[in-house]
Amino acid sequence: MKTLKIVVLLLALSTGIASAQFTKAELQVSGLTCALCSKATEQSLKTLPFIGDIKTDLLHNIFVITFKNGQPVNFDQISKKVQDAGFFVNSLKTTFNFDNTKLADNSFSYGGDTFQVISGTEKPLNGQVAVTIVDKGFAPKSVSKKYAGQLSVASTGKTGRVYHVII
Amino acid sequence: MKRLFMAISLLALACPAFSQELYVNTEPASNMATNSLGIRLENQGYFNPYKTRTTLELMFGASRRLMVHGSLYLSDYYEPQQHLEGGSVYAKYRFISVDSVQKHFRGAVFGKLSSINNPIPYQEISLDGDNSGLQAGVVFTQLLHKLALSGSASYLHAWNNAGGFNLPAWHAENAVAYTLSAGYLLLPKTYTSYSQTNLNIYAELLGKTNPGYGQSYLDAAPAVQLIFNSLVRVDFSYRIPLYSTMERNTAHVYLVRVEYNLFNL
Repeated sequence: MKTLKIVVLLLALSTGIASAQFTKAELQVSGLTCALCSKATEQSLKTLPFIGDIKTDLLHNIFVITFKNGQPVNFDQISKKVQDAGFFVNSLKTTFNFDNTKLADNSFSYGGDTFQVISGTEKPLNGQVAVTIVDKGFAPKSVSKKYAGQLSVASTGKTGRVYHVII
Repeated sequence: MKRLFMAISLLALACPAFSQELYVNTEPASNMATNSLGIRLENQGYFNPYKTRTTLELMFGASRRLMVHGSLYLSDYYEPQQHLEGGSVYAKYRFISVDSVQKHFRGAVFGKLSSINNPIPYQEISLDGDNSGLQAGVVFTQLLHKLALSGSASYLHAWNNAGGFNLPAWHAENAVAYTLSAGYLLLPKTYTSYSQTNLNIYAELLGKTNPGYGQSYLDAAPAVQLIFNSLVRVDFSYRIPLYSTMERNTAHVYLVRVEYNLFNL
């Protein structure tokens, strides 16, 4: 009985931890013009340990990525893989489960990194919410430039890599 | 009416433009993905008399900006029997890249070194099995709507060939080469899966001049390409001289090539 209680407790804990995480992402890559290039990019992304499944929309150059449960997601590595394949990230819209997470000072933590929300903080944050990263390497220059002023101001006194996101 | 026009215009904008830049007779400014390897087996040749050259080429994406090629040449162009003629190494560095979704402009510099053991009866300096030498140049590639355009200019310098075959004193030792290539994706009409076979068509212009010698040529090289499973590429091309005042063995040459790609080595 005691063991069962522990198991139930552990299960509850683990699901609690698991829910506070990025579940999927829509990654649009710019510069892709051939099936060979898309395939090379997809194969390169698949080597990342936290990527579970990739569905590719070849018509719009969008990779729909499902992240593995419980594996920490590293967005910089996604951008690096795309650039190593010879292309650039045009947009990265990821989904975060906000069930056990509250914004503090307009930011939330994940895996030791800080996600600074620079637009959309007024929205109610419950359950699955789409979050778009606007830092350099995740958006066209025009977009990251647009938020450039907010990027430098908002990132003081935060731990880990600070990503800037809009909701 | 105005709305209809707007809707059609928006639709046209949203329609993806697929152009191809996997050129058959030239290299685009783009590189292969980092740590991917392309293996090419190629056969070129001409008729009357029938002579043929086989090339084995390995291509490797060393980093996001740099790729390297190594080639070995085997032919009966200069001897009755097939023999190993030598090899070449090639490197290309991408120095500019302006990308948006399904569009891009890229620029790269490239260099090639070759060592070949054939005699030198022809006026053309060619590092693909005919001359020992050096080549350096620039290439720019741009997607314009449904067309992928690429242009290159390069300088070639020939040395004496290996095996004691010297460059004749009356031959040009410097040449200028220029290329213009266009590619178009014919099939599939809509991209849904990697397993769809792609059919691409290309039109390429290949020119060379030996400055000060009044020797030059310009060839048209139409090409057809099939890509299977986004892994295996098959190329066919034929060179047709538009004009030629240069003694050479590259006029009226056919090309057949198979390329296999390995990702994430």
